[in-house]
Amino acid sequence: MTATAAPLKDLSQPMSVTAPKPQDEGRKLGFRLTLPAQVLVLFISLFPLLMQLYISLTDWSPLSGMAWPRAWEMWNNFANYTDLISDNRLWSALGRTLLVMVVCVPVEFLLGLGLATLFADDFPGKRIFYSILIMPMMVVPAVAGYMFYMLFQSGGPVNDILSSLLGTPVTVAWLSDPVLAMIAVMVADIWQWTPLMFLILLAGLVGVPEDQMRAATLLGAGPWQRFRTIVLPRMKTIIIIALAIRVIECFKIFDTLYIMTGGGPGVATETISVYIYKITTQDLIWGYVAAIALAILVVLSVACVWAMKRMARAQGDRA
Amino acid sequence: MSAIRLEHLVKQFGAFTALKTMDLTIEDGEFMALLGPSGCGKSTTMNMIAGMERPSEGRILFGDRDMAGVPMGRRGVGFVFQNYAIFTHMTVRQNLDYGLRMGGRPKAEIASRTKAIADLLQLSDLLDRPAQGLSVNILQRVAIGRSAVMEPAIFLLDEPLSNVDAAFRAVMRTELKHLQRQFRQTMVYVTHDQLEAMTMADRIAVMDHGVLQQVGTPLQVYNDPANTFVARFIGAPGMNLLKGRPVETPQGVAIDLGAAGISPVLPPPQAAAARSAKAGVYYGFRPEQAHLVSAGQGLALPVTFVERIGARSILHLGNGDTAVKGVFENDLRATLGETAHIAPIGEAVRLFDAGSGAALRGH
Repeated sequence: MTATAAPLKDLSQPMSVTAPKPQDEGRKLGFRLTLPAQVLVLFISLFPLLMQLYISLTDWSPLSGMAWPRAWEMWNNFANYTDLISDNRLWSALGRTLLVMVVCVPVEFLLGLGLATLFADDFPGKRIFYSILIMPMMVVPAVAGYMFYMLFQSGGPVNDILSSLLGTPVTVAWLSDPVLAMIAVMVADIWQWTPLMFLILLAGLVGVPEDQMRAATLLGAGPWQRFRTIVLPRMKTIIIIALAIRVIECFKIFDTLYIMTGGGPGVATETISVYIYKITTQDLIWGYVAAIALAILVVLSVACVWAMKRMARAQGDRA
Repeated sequence: MSAIRLEHLVKQFGAFTALKTMDLTIEDGEFMALLGPSGCGKSTTMNMIAGMERPSEGRILFGDRDMAGVPMGRRGVGFVFQNYAIFTHMTVRQNLDYGLRMGGRPKAEIASRTKAIADLLQLSDLLDRPAQGLSVNILQRVAIGRSAVMEPAIFLLDEPLSNVDAAFRAVMRTELKHLQRQFRQTMVYVTHDQLEAMTMADRIAVMDHGVLQQVGTPLQVYNDPANTFVARFIGAPGMNLLKGRPVETPQGVAIDLGAAGISPVLPPPQAAAARSAKAGVYYGFRPEQAHLVSAGQGLALPVTFVERIGARSILHLGNGDTAVKGVFENDLRATLGETAHIAPIGEAVRLFDAGSGAALRGH
């Protein structure tokens, strides 16, 4: 049956009478050949997850004097998960993370969009400005952290610039003030990640057909009308992608922030990642850490799936 | 008001000159076709009229108003793009009423004007369909409707029919002409298809290599081409052009056409013009304006090919570099290789200077 059906399906292949090749044979071979790689991938992605889930259901800690496979001896059912709910420090950290997100992502988006609009047209020196503009993205986050740490010292360049602008000496201790420290951290994030937003949005903007823009112009649409009716609908998908990437990244904000403030002063800039880092390295309650991490993974995954579905729908509208 | 005047218009792209000193006046309400092969500068000219390109030199006037510095959105021209530039993320209705909506017209007016144009272009049943996925023929009508609904005084069309199939092209030629008669806009129509230009235009501007070759009514450019380029370009097949020298015969001045023999005697005004051409002449006549004659008369050349095109038959005659075509009825009898005798109808003969290519008018 297969022997007669196969040539019908693929007429471009020359028919071979002497060596019939049933499709199943090839598929089986392919499966066998890729099996090691598949097992490896499965192991890498699945094993830590299962281990995490297992530990999250126990009171196990590296100090408890036993290897992690024996963590079941300290089984506590869902105590770690119920503890999550009443952990005020966790909720504050989550609140601060969301605050960074709702401030930084929109600012990065608007700046990126503005710059992308500017760079969609030609102007002298465009290539040089372009290179300069995307440079922050290439700076190692830890290095960016040290850079901003120095910039925001009370005797640092930021205060110097403010002094000369205002005409009076400014000696603000940026990173020691709870509110200013948060602002400094946000400035660093915006500085580093606006270029990414800019790059993604520029790619989308360049993809808007020139003829349609001209047609809209000739029909009397002004710049804002063109943007609203032609550019924005065409960039919907790419905007969702850009925002999704930045929201996820923002949720995980850590390196730059940790070097600048260490989550301080006090816990004023302690985000989820910093909090997890601290209780991992200082309190060593790894069962609880695993529970937090898993909860965040679930929340982020749900958010991602939702965003992906929106994207698929937006794409469906265009096709 | 909506006459278009192009004065000494020049367009350079870097070192390349796309348009060399163009002077052209398009009258109010006139249908002008810009006709020429690709790269002749016709689209560049139109883009400058629309304001999409800035002239390197010269002026564009609408009526008495200089358009320099007027952005394309303010010129009030309708423009139909070659690839239509339909807003594919919108419905047909949103495409048609786009300009009206952007102009902030009252809702009732938008609805009634959109309905009127949709009825005219037979788009009423498709109004709420997404523009994406509609056939080229429909997109083409949407593109025209989207501009026409704005009732522009000047309507520019850039090869609007080059992507649609042949049958629909014939329909649209008639419809476009009707549309223009109805609204009396000044219409500029860019095309490389002489059939479109001949059937629709009031006047045709023939262009080549950035130079305006001739402006005239379809019959003028067909009957009295200004030079050898226009003679060859207009007509299908183009005019027969045979290089020769004027010679005195007992009956009067004729042209020695080399392999094709001696031409029939020229009428006196043409004879005078031919004598004055130092570099020799091109002896030209339309393939449609010739008939077969008996041996000893006309031009004698062997038959190389008989092309049957349905309604007519095209007879190809040739000997070396000398080639002549004739268009005849289908009852034409010809045998390959045999010598045929062909003669132009007397008043159909046109002479061109062999040096400059310019027409030698016999007066």
